[in-house]
Amino acid sequence: MPEIKTSDFSAASTKAIADPKLRRALDRVASGFHVARLQRIEEATPQVWDGWKTQAREIKAHTIEHLDYYLDLLYKNVTAAGGQLHFANDAKQANDIVSHIVRTRNIKIATKSKSMVSEELGLNPVLESLGVEVWETDLGEYIIQLAEETPSHLVAPALHKSKEDVAELFTEKLGIPYDEDIYHMAATARTVLRDKFMQADLGISGANFVVAETGTLVIITNEGNGRLCTSAPRVHIGITGMEKVIPSMQDLSIFLRLLPQSATGQRITSYVSMTTGPRRSDDEDGPEEFHLILVDNGRSRMLADPALREALYCIRCGACLNICPVYARIGGHAYGWVYPGPIGAVVSPMLVGLPQAKELPQASSLCGACREVCPVNIDIPRMLLDLRKKTAESPDRAQRSAPKSERMMARLYAKLMSSPRLLHWAVRSGRTLQRLEHLVPFSPVTKGGKWIKKAPLPLLSRWTRSRDLPVLPNKTFHELWDQGIADRPSDARDV
Amino acid sequence: MPAMSDQSLGVPKDEFLRFVREALGREDVPPAQPYPRLTDSTTDLEQQALEIRQKIQQNLPALLDKLADMAQKGGWNVFRAAGAEEAVGYLQDLARKSDLSAVVRSAQGVFDQVPVDAALTSMGLKVTTVLRDEANPRESLREEIRRSGMGITGADFALAETGSVIVLPRKGLSRLVSVVPPVHVALVRPEDVLESMDDLFLLRRLEYHQQGGEMGSYLNFITGPSRTADIEMTIVEGVHGPKEVHMIILG
Ligand code: SF4
Repeated sequence: MPEIKTSDFSAASTKAIADPKLRRALDRVASGFHVARLQRIEEATPQVWDGWKTQAREIKAHTIEHLDYYLDLLYKNVTAAGGQLHFANDAKQANDIVSHIVRTRNIKIATKSKSMVSEELGLNPVLESLGVEVWETDLGEYIIQLAEETPSHLVAPALHKSKEDVAELFTEKLGIPYDEDIYHMAATARTVLRDKFMQADLGISGANFVVAETGTLVIITNEGNGRLCTSAPRVHIGITGMEKVIPSMQDLSIFLRLLPQSATGQRITSYVSMTTGPRRSDDEDGPEEFHLILVDNGRSRMLADPALREALYCIRCGACLNICPVYARIGGHAYGWVYPGPIGAVVSPMLVGLPQAKELPQASSLCGACREVCPVNIDIPRMLLDLRKKTAESPDRAQRSAPKSERMMARLYAKLMSSPRLLHWAVRSGRTLQRLEHLVPFSPVTKGGKWIKKAPLPLLSRWTRSRDLPVLPNKTFHELWDQGIADRPSDARDV
Repeated sequence: MPAMSDQSLGVPKDEFLRFVREALGREDVPPAQPYPRLTDSTTDLEQQALEIRQKIQQNLPALLDKLADMAQKGGWNVFRAAGAEEAVGYLQDLARKSDLSAVVRSAQGVFDQVPVDAALTSMGLKVTTVLRDEANPRESLREEIRRSGMGITGADFALAETGSVIVLPRKGLSRLVSVVPPVHVALVRPEDVLESMDDLFLLRRLEYHQQGGEMGSYLNFITGPSRTADIEMTIVEGVHGPKEVHMIILG
């Protein structure tokens, strides 16, 4: 598995917020994908769109509830089509399967079309250690591979890179003159990879969906790299998570509508490639061998937990990233592992282990925007709360997310709020302190304004490090009430 | 390489399914309600296919208009040809503009209707039909495809809903013809048109069942040119696939 940096979340996100270049890149995504998505919903009409969402969720819910049955059916039909289906419990097992195929088939060059699961497995270094030349062929993935980085978005992996970054990278790694024209850079990638497509012995792809009824692997791409990877080399390996199975070919239409429109706002991607088994004897092209590897790698933990099971309905459209106010400020890398954004904050802790990623579920204001845009109606905020609860109540003290001081504060707050007399006393003392503070020139706490910028006492000051608190009002609601606010004429109350 | 004893690497299927059932917290039971679609009989599907065909018959002009509209929105250059002659004329113009020397085409029925070869050869172009035989092994055809400036194919279906051309595996139809050359032209006959993806997948399921569980090794949608927005969200056309795509609708 690739390096897990989920425990560095605080530091990484603070650094990301301060990065103006990243901010510009993230603004571009928000305005691009999100606006196009809204146009598509208007075009379909919101009623129809909601109907699709409900239907898609029902299909996913049914399949996941009967995952064993559909995996069995899939196995039967992949085999019947002349392909091979392999199951892997974890990353190592999946990588071992690929390694076995690579060694026994004498593979020298592999082309890959975008696969988040292969990122999750850390497959590329394994292939390289076997002496295989590995080429990522999606332009974004190719850039990331050259830069030796990880994707920062589910759909646009290199979005954090500016055109100047890419131009410099191409100069450094490909030895070509610096040229920041985006069209020229895309043409360079085309030229480099064109040869590789034709030379490759192995094509590796992910899968957006896998159809149990026919044993069919479905990938959607815009560049055409997916089609080349799955049709030119003599061996094709598809790798994906076990949750990607859907029952019937006819279930696909709904997902082929929802996925591209939610992801990039396109009505459909340029290419949809469906593969069922290897090349038949009459076919003009296609691989001689077709392998499908389905991985668990922590997914059964989500399956086993009714509160988190629906995370497995995700179709990785990225809409929740594009709308998330937290993602919009910190980008994908701060999340520290393969899956960023709101859904990543649920999935990563489940895949790498909650103790290592306990800060991720905190990275949300629980505004609910992700739930609203999700094409399969996944209730992400509910799951984030569930994960927070699990961390807070963990029997192992060291695993609890909140420091002792914060828990103490929470207890104090609960006491205060449940006793009117205590609260009243606290407000009055606070106001006295506030008045005194205003007498001091350059008042350190409120800086003379309406917000508490830096609360006194180390305990409270931590809280205000990234938040402002409103100052205490001159009169509380209770005090106003006692003064007879209730007796005023109704027209005055309406103001 | 001889057949390997690796039919299933990794965890044996039954063991894997047992883990899944453990996670689901239950025994090996099939869905209480059988999934509606999976219980369709071939006769049911045939009946539905008949209805689809009738619906298309009744709405053909409107469907062709919708196809043209959606295809154009999806990035195709759409040309509606009144007959084979106009289609050939359009191709010749295109060849002239694109400054080509070699063209590849697939071997499909539509080329009996539209005499592409004669028209393009008369302009001094080399036209290769991608059809494997003793004289033309796969490798030499591949080279030919790579050298060509234009690939011409028919369509197995065309979807009005999305403006997509659907290609299925056939003898004489290499996927590379539509994806490798920088220009792709698809010839669409009125009888290829379907209204929606729902229609398409129903017809494919029917064929799958009629053929005793075989539907061919692939099914591809093509909708517009190859494109990317991976650098600064700027759309660039023609990354790994064609930069320019044309749909000629014969009718
Ligand atoms: S959780 Fe929903 S919105 Fe987010 S990536 Fe998955 S499917 Fe898309």
